[in-house]
Amino acid sequence: MSHAGADSTAFRLTGGELTEWLAGLLREGKRVIAPVEEAGLRLFRPVTSPEQICLAPGKTRLSPKDSLFPKNEKLFSYAVRGDEVTLETPPAEDREQVLFGTRPCDVAGLLRLDTVFLKGAPDEQYAARRSRTAIVSLACESAEPECFCTAVGGGPAAEEGSDVQVLAAGELWLVRPLTAKGEALTAALRGRTAPSQEEWAQARAGIERAEASLRQNPVAREWAAVLEANFDLPLWEAVGQRCVGCSICNFVCPSCSCFDVHDGGNAFCGERCRSWDSCTFATFTRHGSGHNPRPTQPSRYRQRVLHKFAYYPQSNAGEFMCVGCGRCVRHCPVGLSIYESVNQIVSAAREQS
Amino acid sequence: MTTFLPHLVRIAAAHDETQDVRTLRLEFTDPQVGRQFRWEAGQFGEFSVFGFGEAVFTLANAPTRPGYIEITTRAIGKLTGAIRKLSAGQVLGLRGPFGNHFPVEEWRGRDLVFVGGGIGTAALRSPLQYALDRRADYGEIVVLNGARSMADLVYKDEMKKEWEAVDRVRVVRTVDPGGETPEWDGEVGLLPNVFERLALPPDNRVVIVCGPPVMLHFMFMTLEKMGYTPDQVVTTMENKMKCGVGLCGRCNIGRVFVCRDGPVFTWAQVRALPKDF
Repeated sequence: MSHAGADSTAFRLTGGELTEWLAGLLREGKRVIAPVEEAGLRLFRPVTSPEQICLAPGKTRLSPKDSLFPKNEKLFSYAVRGDEVTLETPPAEDREQVLFGTRPCDVAGLLRLDTVFLKGAPDEQYAARRSRTAIVSLACESAEPECFCTAVGGGPAAEEGSDVQVLAAGELWLVRPLTAKGEALTAALRGRTAPSQEEWAQARAGIERAEASLRQNPVAREWAAVLEANFDLPLWEAVGQRCVGCSICNFVCPSCSCFDVHDGGNAFCGERCRSWDSCTFATFTRHGSGHNPRPTQPSRYRQRVLHKFAYYPQSNAGEFMCVGCGRCVRHCPVGLSIYESVNQIVSAAREQS
Repeated sequence: MTTFLPHLVRIAAAHDETQDVRTLRLEFTDPQVGRQFRWEAGQFGEFSVFGFGEAVFTLANAPTRPGYIEITTRAIGKLTGAIRKLSAGQVLGLRGPFGNHFPVEEWRGRDLVFVGGGIGTAALRSPLQYALDRRADYGEIVVLNGARSMADLVYKDEMKKEWEAVDRVRVVRTVDPGGETPEWDGEVGLLPNVFERLALPPDNRVVIVCGPPVMLHFMFMTLEKMGYTPDQVVTTMENKMKCGVGLCGRCNIGRVFVCRDGPVFTWAQVRALPKDF
């Protein structure tokens, strides 16, 4: 899982040097978005100084998804004067942004958003934001109780999607540019010392510690077909009945991509917006006629599980739409775990067949 | 940013079909856009009334009648309620066309039956007009237009003046039991039952059906009983959609996104979907 080896292009930085590098990025005019402590929560926020950044072990409350796919985003504004309507699109944002300190699971979440928003129909606003975003990931030295990234194809030092990877080695930081974008971002570090064997070993030890505490059995890729074939399994009803439909799982999820399109304003002026939405809300699918394709909470919970573990993987080379960050498990008010649900359904399906 | 930015269309005429259903004729405010706007029978658009939001309606006129767009909507919510109150000259937004379309070219040489329940008939109007405009390309055409009551029947005028006026076109009007009035001269019965009474043999025929989910359920049962195969029955699904291009997620059924992979599906395709619609 971990590829952190003796890497000739890596740099070893002290805390002060890391701060200096980030200050340099801010001076260049880049927007640096990183974990900060705010009202008792750790959240991704644009920072004005590297001192605001908190790189303590563990995850932020939400992933940095919001920086590419905002919770609420204006698509255009409208003005109606008599029988004439004028539409105005928001000015294009051109500031480069750096997502600093992103955990590997959250990077994986952004890659899922890329699949949704870049592979199919063009989503111009997402594409524009994505092209001026660089991702600096931070490998995990420890896992939290809800984490299950290794069960869904990820890992505490997974590199995919990172332009630069940062690893902790005691008081030091090992910085590895991984893409051309990453090379450009670390240009100021050229000439810095490469990490020693001991420093690499120290970083690896942290990652191994995290891996050792991730003990969940993997979700097999073949399970996608099993889940899909067992849409009618009666157990779905019992599993999903506990869901209260609060949708916290969707809102804390780094890969959930569904949205609503709505108007804010009145019949004379206002804005058309899109906002995060959730498949576990009854209104998500309810027709104007009142007919609801997913009329019960278990049917909506099943959709959430199947979209992430059956439908999406079957259409995207087996990759799950769950990255194992475990936030939904941690925050569910009734203690539902998507990982457990998948296991329960697959076991029941196997017993039946 | 173009995916979510609508074209502007102006109401050229509004025709009230029933107490709560109206058909709008819309013309592009920019004639250049209007000339370039191409669609196929069965595709849909995202229509907006600014301040009330956006919703999906089928493009109800055939591509053989270009230069304008028609939609038929029933006032049941915020947006459709707003549409009910608009008047000629006012401007709506239109994004599209989206989705796949009816295989009208593949139907050449075959007999066609259009079965529409209530507002569902709006989704059949474009392929029907297409077939009427290319009458020589198709065999016998039967239109079965049903509603709960006589007052709820859509396209009453054009059924008589336009559809029936075309050579070898049979229009059957029907209302649910209890929905008839003393002067009603059409059929009385639920659509699947009326369809069965017509006793149309399945050979060389395509059945195009659209209506509420419960009607579709019983139509498919009747069609199966009459010997129709799942491949010769075509429907269009009307899930809730917000984006129209396979992103927003709400029209998802199994691996299918109705907006992107549909809205037109054969009964064979519908049968293969999870029962999530």
